[in-house]
Amino acid sequence: MKKFLAILMAALMVAAMFAGCGNKAGSTANNTEYVIGVSGPLTGGAAVYGLAVQNAAQMAVDEINAAGGLNGTNFKLIATDDQHDPTKVATNYANLMNQGMQVSLGTVTTAPGEEFKTLAKEDNVFFLTPSASGDKIPEFDNGFQMCFADGNQGKVAADYVNGAGLTKIGVCYRSDDPYSDGIYKQFKENLNKSIEVVETSFTDATSTDFSTQISQLKECTFIFMPIYYQPAAVFMEQAKDIIKADATYYGCDGFDGLAGQLDLTTIPQEVSMLSHFDATAKEGKAAEFVKKYTEKYGADTLNQFGASAYDCIYAIYGAMKELIDAGEEITPKTSASDLCDMLKGKFTGGYTLAAGATGSNIKWNADGTVDKGAVKYNLK
Amino acid sequence: MSKLKNIKWKQYIVYLVLVAVACYFGVFGLQQNLNRSTTILLEKAAVAMILAVSLNLVVGFLGELSLGHAGFMCVGAYLGAKTALALTAAMGPGNELLVLVICLLVGGVAAAACGVIIGLPALRLRGDYLAIVTLAFGEIVRSLFENLPDEMFGGSLGQQSVRYDRYQLFIIGFVLVILTLAVLQNLIRSKHGRAVTSIRDSEIAARACGINVTKYKLLVFTVSAFFAGIAGVLFSFTQNKVQPTTFDYNYSIEILVMVVLGGMGSLNGSLIAAVLITYLNEELQIVLTGDLAVLRGLLYALVMILLIIYRNAPALKGFREKWNMKRFIDRMRKHDPAKIHDDEAKWDRVPTKIMVDEVLSVDIQTSSPYTPDKRKKEED
Amino acid sequence: MKLLETLLNGLSSGSTYAMIALGYTMVYGIAKMLNFAHGDVIMVGGYTLYVSAVMMGIHPLLALLLAIICCAVLGVTIEKLAYKPLRGASPLAVLITAIGMSYLLQSVAQMIFGSADRMVRLFDLGRITVGSMQISTYTIITLACSAVIMAGLSLFVKYTRIGRAMIAVSEDKDAAQLMGINVNFIITITFAIGSALAAFAGFFMVLKSPPVNSTLGAMPGIKAFTAAVIGGIGSIPGAMLGGILMGIVESFAQTNPVIAPFTVAIEFSILIVILLVRPSGILGKKRREKV
Repeated sequence: MKKFLAILMAALMVAAMFAGCGNKAGSTANNTEYVIGVSGPLTGGAAVYGLAVQNAAQMAVDEINAAGGLNGTNFKLIATDDQHDPTKVATNYANLMNQGMQVSLGTVTTAPGEEFKTLAKEDNVFFLTPSASGDKIPEFDNGFQMCFADGNQGKVAADYVNGAGLTKIGVCYRSDDPYSDGIYKQFKENLNKSIEVVETSFTDATSTDFSTQISQLKECTFIFMPIYYQPAAVFMEQAKDIIKADATYYGCDGFDGLAGQLDLTTIPQEVSMLSHFDATAKEGKAAEFVKKYTEKYGADTLNQFGASAYDCIYAIYGAMKELIDAGEEITPKTSASDLCDMLKGKFTGGYTLAAGATGSNIKWNADGTVDKGAVKYNLK
Repeated sequence: MSKLKNIKWKQYIVYLVLVAVACYFGVFGLQQNLNRSTTILLEKAAVAMILAVSLNLVVGFLGELSLGHAGFMCVGAYLGAKTALALTAAMGPGNELLVLVICLLVGGVAAAACGVIIGLPALRLRGDYLAIVTLAFGEIVRSLFENLPDEMFGGSLGQQSVRYDRYQLFIIGFVLVILTLAVLQNLIRSKHGRAVTSIRDSEIAARACGINVTKYKLLVFTVSAFFAGIAGVLFSFTQNKVQPTTFDYNYSIEILVMVVLGGMGSLNGSLIAAVLITYLNEELQIVLTGDLAVLRGLLYALVMILLIIYRNAPALKGFREKWNMKRFIDRMRKHDPAKIHDDEAKWDRVPTKIMVDEVLSVDIQTSSPYTPDKRKKEED
Repeated sequence: MKLLETLLNGLSSGSTYAMIALGYTMVYGIAKMLNFAHGDVIMVGGYTLYVSAVMMGIHPLLALLLAIICCAVLGVTIEKLAYKPLRGASPLAVLITAIGMSYLLQSVAQMIFGSADRMVRLFDLGRITVGSMQISTYTIITLACSAVIMAGLSLFVKYTRIGRAMIAVSEDKDAAQLMGINVNFIITITFAIGSALAAFAGFFMVLKSPPVNSTLGAMPGIKAFTAAVIGGIGSIPGAMLGGILMGIVESFAQTNPVIAPFTVAIEFSILIVILLVRPSGILGKKRREKV
């Protein structure tokens, strides 16, 4: 019996070995197309973001390829599933590298991104994340963001509140979520000390019942909610008769998708958000993106994550095109590290994406954060 | 030579396999000529093996269900990471191995201390109550680490940790697996181990035989927690950041699945199941994307239910005895079960099952010794 | 005033917990097992409401009836398929099977409905003004309904034949069998009632917050079990007391911004403390261990 077990075990080990040994870093030697990789939550609770990024990025890639690719060479997108779980990123990264990834969109969400950035740094792989908004995501020189960093969002929100002449505001944030927690901490730091803050929080385990928080906040006419749209929708629905009808809910880019979750016309309060993408835009690149996306994938997963990913692909495409035009040699066989050095220089050297779905004249700072206008949209 | 002959090689074959695997990959690892996904798989397998074996001590040998194993691991991971950061800053580069060893001890001892704390209620509780207390413990630990001020353990963003060289860490991981296995096997084969299994089979009978149930329960919880802590520290060295979401209830369940699949009370089985499930997780993560990813959960659930019913259902007893693997192998080896070998004591599976219920029918009052005077008073 | 409001909020969420805890406590009292899948029966109830009320447009109250029937049938099926074969086996085996069952239900639900939230909006309940205070109708309905259900259940157990048979089975299964009670039937009935209560709880949860997903019942389930243990498992008033205590603690913890993030930790710490001080729970009976 024991012997049998041992043999079985040995057999398993051998089976595991098949993945075995070989070159340590990924190889781009077999590439015939430019390979872009991304890791995002394609299943699980955060799937809507991962799918949006996958769909929109694929859409951008298809468009570029249909228009003849980059000087005749096509792009290829590989999306892997991390279920918003940091421990799954390493496997995805290895898998992407094995498939010849040259340039990456990083991760869709922040928590896995914390792992991804170090892995990418080790191999010197360029990544431009559409939506991992953590402050530390572009910590290393090879990481760039298309979305606003959380700290920045908190600061912009605080500036807005400071200038609005309010004396008392309410806050509702999720304490066990890096996104919400991060924004709120920056917000608190930058807020005028003279403004009285009624602070409430919730955790994942208590995100279906907001009655306590609502009764705490019912005196406030301005409520800052740096949270994602699902709990926000629950909050608003439970609060619609309790919170004053002339109050304002003010959220960050996490509010995006709210309209799909609840009928905003039934909410008497004003709902506004700070974002770089307006899903209700009637003109410009954003409207064009919304139209194309809903035609292809429906409105279920339409949100700023997708729009941002769409812009990321075009930004990378544009930068590579400019590099080639300037005489650099970039082929599908160029190694990720070489390409990274070129793109790094390009992005920190004043490269501009003239028009995107999430803004125009998009530039990048030397620290990897994005420089573009944030807009306060009134959702209602 | 004669001494060598006397050694029962069968008993050590697991160690040999583990050493062989570690050596085989170690050679490639030290040359840094190893596929990245292989190193990830090996690291994860080492962590999973330690976790499964240590949980098996509680579930398989003590016969109590612990649903908070990830909580112990969490303690180890966080304290390990914190210590590693401090030590690396204090000692500078070049001392990685020393730092790792110190961290292992710190994390293990801290987790063992938690094991004592959770073992104390375990002395008074049994079965379902204990399961729910361990579950509660796991959630408390996670929520504490998540919500303590950022300066202490990084809050919801997670604790920064030190990534050990990926081409060497798995070797250390396998050494730890071997150490864990050696300690646990010797514990189980000792008189203490027999005492523990006798508690599993009938606590009251064990008490009646003069076994100090309290002491042994505490011992088992502490040892098991210690190794879970070790696994946590090892895990923290495979990551760049220890994030609290990793150690949720689902993770405890996954370890339990390994134990159940490998067979409760079989350390070798746990090892095989841990490797198998880690391997499946890695492979399925790439293969099953989209809505298919749920199939993995479905598979584990079915495995758990069917295996337990098959192994434990009283109605299937005859069937089990007729169609089990041992009998099958015996038949293949033309082994005659009637022929008894000299002391073939099972050292990893101690059969002490006595039908106590049928033998005794004494009414024993546990935890409050019989005092005739007191009872008389109450009657008055 | 604020205190009173917090108390009311706690009562309303507490009564939902109490209703789930009742299911746990009844099953535990009679089948002597912890039905881990109980929380996921709530989730199935939620999805039944979604399919019937939202997709097919049936009246919400009829949908509730449908959900109750579905959950009761599901509860009985789970019992017959997974737990009955293990009757007489070690408690550990039953417990692990129950955990597996909970996982199975979640996975199947996710396979059918995907991982995105499904919105179930049933009624638009208004608010009632009492003096200077506004109370949501929801709170009153939940409280009233759970009070009625609990009273009904207590009466049922005390005064009907089946109820008395349940007490007999929970006291001594073998003796009950000797007295001519069909133990299998009683266990089936218990599972049906417990699961029907879970459907009720699911209804109230959905009424409060419309998103339904595959983990809807997991956390409330664990909390409700904690409540059942705190109150003393096997005791119906204990489950009510525990559930309401849980709700009140939760709502008071959330009013303080410093301790709000630790709400779950506090709730579970209470469990550990109570079990240390009084292992049988507040209202539980101390059982003698027999060989």
